Amino acid sequence: MLQLLVAGLTVGSGYALVALGIHIILRATRIVNFAQGEFTIVGGLLALTFVQLFHVNTWFALAGATLAGFVLGLLYERLVLRPAGRSGEIPLTIATLGTVFILLYGHALVPGWGSLPQPLPAFTGDASDAITVGGVSIQVQSIWVLGLLLAALVVLYLFFERTYYGKAIRAAANNPTGAKLVGIDVTGARAVSVGLAIALAAYGGTIIGPITLVGGAGGTAIAIKGFVGAIVGGLESPLGCVAGGLLVGVVEKLIQGLPGVSYGVSDPVVYSLLLVALLLRPQGLFGARSAVRD
Amino acid sequence: MIARLRADTRTLPILALIVVAFGIFAAGNATFAQAGTYAAIFSIAAIGLSLLLGNVNQISLGAAGFFGIGAYAVASLTTWWNLPAWLSWPLATLIGITGATIVGLGLGFIALRFRGHYLAMATLTFGLICAGIFHETKFLGGAIGIEDIPYPRFGALTISGYPAYWFAWILALGIALLTLNLLRGRSGRAFEAIRNDELAAEVLGVPTRRYKILAFAYSGALAGLAGAVYAAFLGIVVPDAVGPQLSFSLLLMVVLGGSGGVSGALIGAALLGFLDISGHQFENTREVVYGVLVIAVVIAAPNGAFGLIRSRFRPGHPERSAEGRVVEGQPRSSTFALPLDKLGVTSSVVEVAHVTQRFGGLVAVNDVSFTLTRGTLTSLIGPNGAGKTTLFNAISGIGRPTEGRVTIGGIDVTGRQPHRVAALGVGRTFQNARLFGEMTVLENVIAGAFRTEHTSFGADLFALPSSRRSEREATDRARDTLVRLGLEPLASTLAKDLAFGDRRRVELARATASNPWLLLVDEPAAGLNAGERATLTADLLKLRDAGMTLLLIEHDMRLVMSISERVMVLKFGTMIADGTADAVRNDPAVVAAYLGTAG
Amino acid sequence: MLLEVSGLHAGYGELEVLRGISLTVEAGEMVAVLGPNGAGKSTLLRTISRIDTNVRSGSIRFDGHDLLRASTVQGVGFGCLHVPEGRQLFTELSVDDNIRLGAYSVDRKTIEADVAAVYAQFPVLAERKSQTAFSLSGGEQQMLAIGRALMARPRMLMLDEPSTGLAPQVVEVIFGILAGLKRSGTAVLIVEQNAYLTLQHADRAYVLENGEIALSGTASELSADPRVRAIYLGGSPDEA
Repeated sequence: MLQLLVAGLTVGSGYALVALGIHIILRATRIVNFAQGEFTIVGGLLALTFVQLFHVNTWFALAGATLAGFVLGLLYERLVLRPAGRSGEIPLTIATLGTVFILLYGHALVPGWGSLPQPLPAFTGDASDAITVGGVSIQVQSIWVLGLLLAALVVLYLFFERTYYGKAIRAAANNPTGAKLVGIDVTGARAVSVGLAIALAAYGGTIIGPITLVGGAGGTAIAIKGFVGAIVGGLESPLGCVAGGLLVGVVEKLIQGLPGVSYGVSDPVVYSLLLVALLLRPQGLFGARSAVRD
Repeated sequence: MIARLRADTRTLPILALIVVAFGIFAAGNATFAQAGTYAAIFSIAAIGLSLLLGNVNQISLGAAGFFGIGAYAVASLTTWWNLPAWLSWPLATLIGITGATIVGLGLGFIALRFRGHYLAMATLTFGLICAGIFHETKFLGGAIGIEDIPYPRFGALTISGYPAYWFAWILALGIALLTLNLLRGRSGRAFEAIRNDELAAEVLGVPTRRYKILAFAYSGALAGLAGAVYAAFLGIVVPDAVGPQLSFSLLLMVVLGGSGGVSGALIGAALLGFLDISGHQFENTREVVYGVLVIAVVIAAPNGAFGLIRSRFRPGHPERSAEGRVVEGQPRSSTFALPLDKLGVTSSVVEVAHVTQRFGGLVAVNDVSFTLTRGTLTSLIGPNGAGKTTLFNAISGIGRPTEGRVTIGGIDVTGRQPHRVAALGVGRTFQNARLFGEMTVLENVIAGAFRTEHTSFGADLFALPSSRRSEREATDRARDTLVRLGLEPLASTLAKDLAFGDRRRVELARATASNPWLLLVDEPAAGLNAGERATLTADLLKLRDAGMTLLLIEHDMRLVMSISERVMVLKFGTMIADGTADAVRNDPAVVAAYLGTAG
Repeated sequence: MLLEVSGLHAGYGELEVLRGISLTVEAGEMVAVLGPNGAGKSTLLRTISRIDTNVRSGSIRFDGHDLLRASTVQGVGFGCLHVPEGRQLFTELSVDDNIRLGAYSVDRKTIEADVAAVYAQFPVLAERKSQTAFSLSGGEQQMLAIGRALMARPRMLMLDEPSTGLAPQVVEVIFGILAGLKRSGTAVLIVEQNAYLTLQHADRAYVLENGEIALSGTASELSADPRVRAIYLGGSPDEA
């Protein structure tokens, strides 16, 4: 049981980071970035490239991938989101779907990436290293995943809650007109937000890399489960998104661990969870009511 | 809207010719014929999605779910039961369509609660749940699906291979035609009004929620039909083929081809079919190209391929609308006929009793009471933020008052939905002239007559005589209104192209097209120059003299004082004065409210 | 001349609200813009701060800069600050954050002293320092908006109906602050509903009607002018 919990939290960390990235972009652009899962996959692959090309360890690859993700996010905002946004909200949403296509099918074309999942070297030791806690075997990598998740959350919290510039970015998202009246460059703030969100995606894709592998067609599934997590936890609340993502991971592993239940059942159950959440409490566990309706 | 659908009407025969030509060309080539057949099948689903996205502005990422319902209905039933061939497929299809429609009604109802990205996610989830159900249900073949589905057979004729092309296209073009009928009638106008400005549609009497649900149901039915044909022609149904992949493909077709109307869907389906085949070897690259195309189209050509075609061949000169006779320039009656409203409004008084409206801690309207007598012109004035528009909203049903009661013609309308208040004969204009930009002036005013039209969704669909008669009457009525207000020359101008002064008058025409007996006018003079104000004053007096009851919010004091029999003054939600224009103007409380007091 | 507006025609989309407005503001003076609703007062301020209007013709010069070629953010950099109707506060952020962000465009070396000064002017804000801006009452929000604008050390402060929702004593405090600004050389351009009170504090005033300047003059001249009331309440001046 504890094992399932840890496994759930591990895979849930990936979902949590997707959900948080969706939240950040939502704050900045008022739309849901359907391509967030694909950017997660691409992020992991970027890390792999760093490892293979520059022969660095996974730690450096993590830093490199995150940085590359930030740059990718800036490009995404400038080339896709900003121009499409001029045509309206629905066209903008469709543009993110178009990006899904490009990344989902395109990543396989990059030399060295291919369409099959590949392993990322572990952060320490071997991927299968495990320690025993209370009679239960826990993968060392899982501990790293959770630790790195925590680290990212702390950094983001400090940035947005304690730095002047972080608050300025929040202000720009909260009230663009007010921000301009105070001298804040709203467009720049939006670009930085998107950059951060994609950097986060790359970070997330990399930290789960040693366990769940990088690449492959799993992007859509991760994206969807990230959404589910965001909705269940509360799209408009950063804490909610993280909690929701972790919850989805745990639920998924618990269902898969049930005796006599086929592996594939966890997916429809998770999706139904989403529909139920949308129907009963669309603002999520941590969200405020006003966010959702007309 | 007229412009777009006129283009559709003209393009459809051309597309039909292309279909025929291609069919003859593909006679010997099985690959082409098959590609063409599947283009037809998917275009049926695409038409439904095009209506939903383009005409009602509701995004749906779950179209494949309905497609799957139709496909699996046919697959499971025809392989299971033992009915005679001529009955088997049609009955299974009927069941499939019915199932899809019912589910569509359900999804539409759920979708009412969401906007924007929440709607996208709700529909996406729906599609995923359907896909999951198809994948996991043993009865439906689980991951393997169902195979050996029999072709439709009518007597000696088996519909497969080459004949399937013609069958599929006759179906597709037929659906296109029916959909076009729908869009050109009252229902289509309702959709377009909702898309342009939902609130304005509501106050004209359009039951927006009902129409949105209908749109979902219709598009679901069409997708179900497409799935039913697909299953029978392909012979196999696997869950992966009716999953989110398909939903995105359909969306792609509609985006590339152009949403709204039918030609875009047909073009998009054909385009995607063509790209699919020609890019067959370049599996992944092909999809990347789709992604890039979608983004490029969204940025540069939001109306898709059909939109580009349309803008190349812009109609030369404006014509009169499809139905309706040419008006000689004289209205048939010189006054606005105000019959006793059929809906049972017998007394003719508006009564507002102790209405209070609170928004959280803010009291916008504070215990306001008054009674309006029929045939009078009353003005409501007050400093900024005084709660005047909020009071209007409470009367017309936009938001329920926290306390109090509103009675119109003896009927309690407190908290009723706007379209139901409008149905009683209440018209309303807005501060910022909420016209339906994509529709012509005439179409806007015909939309204004919505509550007087009597036709149904089905009658519109099949262009029955009752539907056509209703359309003619509404158009005549609209033209009369335009003539009366001197707006006839602008009839074919798109509302978004109007000069500002004309916008207000068109909104007034639209609000009076149904001959309401109560008209709420919100700041009609804002932004008008002196000459336009004079015309406005004349129009308002004309309406009053014809027996209409008017309640006006206005800031132009000279105008207010010159035409109002009665003036009510609101300050911070409280009524501080109520009397004749002169009395109010000299009331010290009113002077203080406007000009303040010295220290 | 700090601010010079000439022949300004502007509005929203097709709608023309301002029909040929010309006015000036000097450093150290308070100029009021009065007139009934819909006359274009708010539109004028929004055009100067380049928030969202569509300018057809005319010019706006501020301290030698052409504002029509500048963005809102650039205008703030030149020292032109606008406290709009609706305040536009950062509702999710705290009072303290709102105030501090007011200094975004200026050198923040003295930010602590500046913040302390704002709290001294508006003690109630100090009490609510860590509450979100959303939770403040209307009047408190108004004070916060003004305090935030002051942080940018404006050369000209434009206020749109700052007395809305404020108790008379607080309105006096506001005018006191504005008087202090005047003395230190800052110009004040104020739009107000409360004509008579504003005329008591302003140096000069313009009265707008239907997008045009109907009257202008010193505050004392206009206080005594019966045409002002006629403009607000209709009717001819002799009836006043």
